[in-house]
Amino acid sequence: MVLNFSEQGTPMLGLAKKRIWKYNFMKSSYDAVIIGGGLHGLATAYYLAKEHGMNDVAILEKRFIGFGGAGRNTAIVRANQRTQYNVPLYKEALDLWPVLTRELDFNLMFNNCGNLNLLHSEAAMKTARMNISTAQFHGVESHLLDAKQTKEMEPALNISEDMTYPIHGAMYHPPGGVVRHDAVVWGLAKGATKLGVHIHQQTEATAIHTENGKISGVSTSGGRINTPRVLVSAGGYSAGIIFRMLGVKLPISVLTIQAMVTQPLKPLFNHVVSSGAYHAYANQTLKGEIATGAHMDPWPNYTTQTTAYYIKHQAEALSEFLPCLRGVKFMRIWGGLADMTPDMAPIMDGNDPVEGFYMDCGWGYFGFKSCSVVGKYMAEFMAEGNCPGILKPFHLRRCEQHRLMGETAALVNYSPDN
Amino acid sequence: MALTLTCPVCGKRNGYEFRYGGEDKGPRPAEKGLTPRSWCDYVHMNKCVAGIQKEWWYHKDGCGSWFTTHRDTVRNLEVNEPEAPK
Repeated sequence: MVLNFSEQGTPMLGLAKKRIWKYNFMKSSYDAVIIGGGLHGLATAYYLAKEHGMNDVAILEKRFIGFGGAGRNTAIVRANQRTQYNVPLYKEALDLWPVLTRELDFNLMFNNCGNLNLLHSEAAMKTARMNISTAQFHGVESHLLDAKQTKEMEPALNISEDMTYPIHGAMYHPPGGVVRHDAVVWGLAKGATKLGVHIHQQTEATAIHTENGKISGVSTSGGRINTPRVLVSAGGYSAGIIFRMLGVKLPISVLTIQAMVTQPLKPLFNHVVSSGAYHAYANQTLKGEIATGAHMDPWPNYTTQTTAYYIKHQAEALSEFLPCLRGVKFMRIWGGLADMTPDMAPIMDGNDPVEGFYMDCGWGYFGFKSCSVVGKYMAEFMAEGNCPGILKPFHLRRCEQHRLMGETAALVNYSPDN
Repeated sequence: MALTLTCPVCGKRNGYEFRYGGEDKGPRPAEKGLTPRSWCDYVHMNKCVAGIQKEWWYHKDGCGSWFTTHRDTVRNLEVNEPEAPK
């Protein structure tokens, strides 16, 4: 049987559902080809077409859009990172959600409920003061709370001394929250295809071709495409693709990251609560489930395996700082890929070592919260050929220049690199 | 399915007893003629192979041995060393 991805859509539950984005046949050439139909690829294509008049763009997706990190993240957005390079980027990403909701005419369900980062030692309180100063300097709202104020904010929290890591306070970041990740996939796919972008699902890129140091085309499972520009934004698969197709090695390790949800509960807490010491975060979704992550087995692999080890860890952590969750059942668990860099900052670079080649990877577990702003600036980079100032610090050569970023305060002991 | 690894001293053990030590990149480059780029290549850069790779492990919760083994990163399983192509 031949699958027919026509505009009539595929029959589902006996009903013919019309797809919200347009299907096109593959052409033999495009102005730009994007490998990876995740949120970064979709957003870049959308902004290429919308802001730069470059609508002759193809997105190649090996599986289907929303299959990878786009549908596996825990939908949290925030701008309380550590360094002066990262904070402005994530701030603009936050500011873009309401704008995109209007532009795409699609409800992205941005719920800016605020984030509470629990702090479990005086050292952590001190680090938080530094992060808060950075945030405030960049115009991002962020406050320090003591334990009592934290409890007032989130009464379900355990602030007693009778736990492994007693809560000393919290870093409160009101503008963060959650965005419906699937809605972002659909909204961007709709917006991009409306402007002429082609999305080719079940189409794998098999080779990137160069001529005289310039990009000349891409081979795919659906045929050869000629193009002067290629962006690899394939999430956890990017580093492997870039090495295999262009021989460029990256400072990346690909790890499996896991998350899970409990059974749905009545409204219980209102913020995204996270804890570095317990290495767990949790928020209650609009459906009532407690969505929680995020363990990584600290060795590279490309599976999306989930582990009993992690379920135990998560149950122990949550039932300490949110004791009301004792006895609640986990309902689903899943895994996705996180491409970790040594400094917890992404790699966005272009025209090096091949003209017309762009990469957007190394996001680790920050790929979702950054997709809107990265799409905007990677599109500018690809259309103009010059790296926008806001992306410049994230270039690949920073490792050999010993200019690693100090974002590792965000990191717990979960990477092969530390 | 959980990872198990074969320690040269302790035998087959639970993967969580070990610490991953990186892709095998051959011997440490000589100091003479070392450039920031070649050092960075040795320290930071990875091939991120989807398939079988040779890699370092440390038996942190065991005998403390450092050793290399082969693992299929797509299946997350330790495998025998692949035969060299003829």
